[in-house]
Amino acid sequence: MEQNKITETKELGSLLLDVGVSLLSSGASCSRIRITMKRLATTYHYEAHISIAPKSISLTLNDEEDNVLFNGMRSTPSQGVNFKIISGISRLSWDAVEKKLSLQQVRNELNRLLSLPHYPRMIILLFVSLAGSAFCFSFGGKPPEMIIAFGATFCGLFIRQEAIKKKFNPYICVFFGSLVASLFAGAFIKAGLNINFEHAFATSVLFLIPGVPLINSFTDLIDGNILNGIVRGINALMFSMAIAFGLLIAMLIYNLN
Amino acid sequence: MDWIIIFSKAFWCGWAALGFGILFNVPPRTLFALWIGGAIGCFLKFTLLQMSVGVVFASFVGASAVGILSIPIAHFRHVPPMIFAIPSVIPLIPGVFAYRTMLGLIKLTGAIGTDYNSILSETVNNGAKTLFIIMSLAMGVAIPMHVMRKESAKNIRLIKK
Repeated sequence: MEQNKITETKELGSLLLDVGVSLLSSGASCSRIRITMKRLATTYHYEAHISIAPKSISLTLNDEEDNVLFNGMRSTPSQGVNFKIISGISRLSWDAVEKKLSLQQVRNELNRLLSLPHYPRMIILLFVSLAGSAFCFSFGGKPPEMIIAFGATFCGLFIRQEAIKKKFNPYICVFFGSLVASLFAGAFIKAGLNINFEHAFATSVLFLIPGVPLINSFTDLIDGNILNGIVRGINALMFSMAIAFGLLIAMLIYNLN
Repeated sequence: MDWIIIFSKAFWCGWAALGFGILFNVPPRTLFALWIGGAIGCFLKFTLLQMSVGVVFASFVGASAVGILSIPIAHFRHVPPMIFAIPSVIPLIPGVFAYRTMLGLIKLTGAIGTDYNSILSETVNNGAKTLFIIMSLAMGVAIPMHVMRKESAKNIRLIKK
């Protein structure tokens, strides 16, 4: 019996840490991570104490008499936005509360969620490029500029995905994406087409904007997770600087002002 | 009022929101809601701009509408509100202002000439707009989510005890 309890605690602890790091690395805000982990822990009659660092999560599990049963910490794998995992884990945690799932069932479901595929690469490229030309239109661009924004986004995102696959530093991936997209857009301007180059240039790199870190940064600050909020804000700033740097290099190459 | 332009901008902004949703790998069941969210946010923003409301406040209204909408959609589609709200406000991000700010800052590193003052004031103006629009977007999205989360946290406590 005692042995079973110890195994169960260990399993739950490692499951909770896995849930936490999956959420953290898919771009969830700190309070969401904390709420989800605590919700799962209370379902199995434990009390969880959680500390969330920018790249790791530590967890202590206490029983109802406040005895420490589990201590653990896990660092996150590479970070990237994946909302399918966030919504899947949110559903899973409610299912665990309402349907009283066993630990093994939760673990299986988590593994299934983590192995779910992304959208096919071509779909991502096409729709994000469409988003680029949509941006161009909303800033007042005309059809020729929209087509350039489409092509620039397509090339830039393709290069960024390749760079991510080759495991470059994330900021350098963004820099490559921004450089290639603005080189593409700049080529048309240099060729002497009569277009508004501000629209083409400014919208060709917008697919790289760090929207999730920016909004999460604010959410964390509002919730009092000041440290995480600042870290996420600086992260977003670094991405923006990488975008600006790529744009700048392209403009220097084409000698545009 | 130029409704045709407003509607076509809203239409395209919906596609921008959907594209970002796909980039962020949202569940397929939320894609249509994202399109609607992006279109509504942009529709409000551009309508207010036509009524000569400031761009910061117009963006804030658009983002707040998305943030408030995210709560019923979260119930209806069974996703956390942020999954709907974040891609939907991305079309409101002030790309052109950010771009002008960056160019202005680079020009400010050059020699001080006759037009230095005008570049300086334009850059500060664009920078302030960018900063405040982004802050108002984050606020518009985060505050309704915050209210919502407080309620669901209360629910958890009721179930537990």
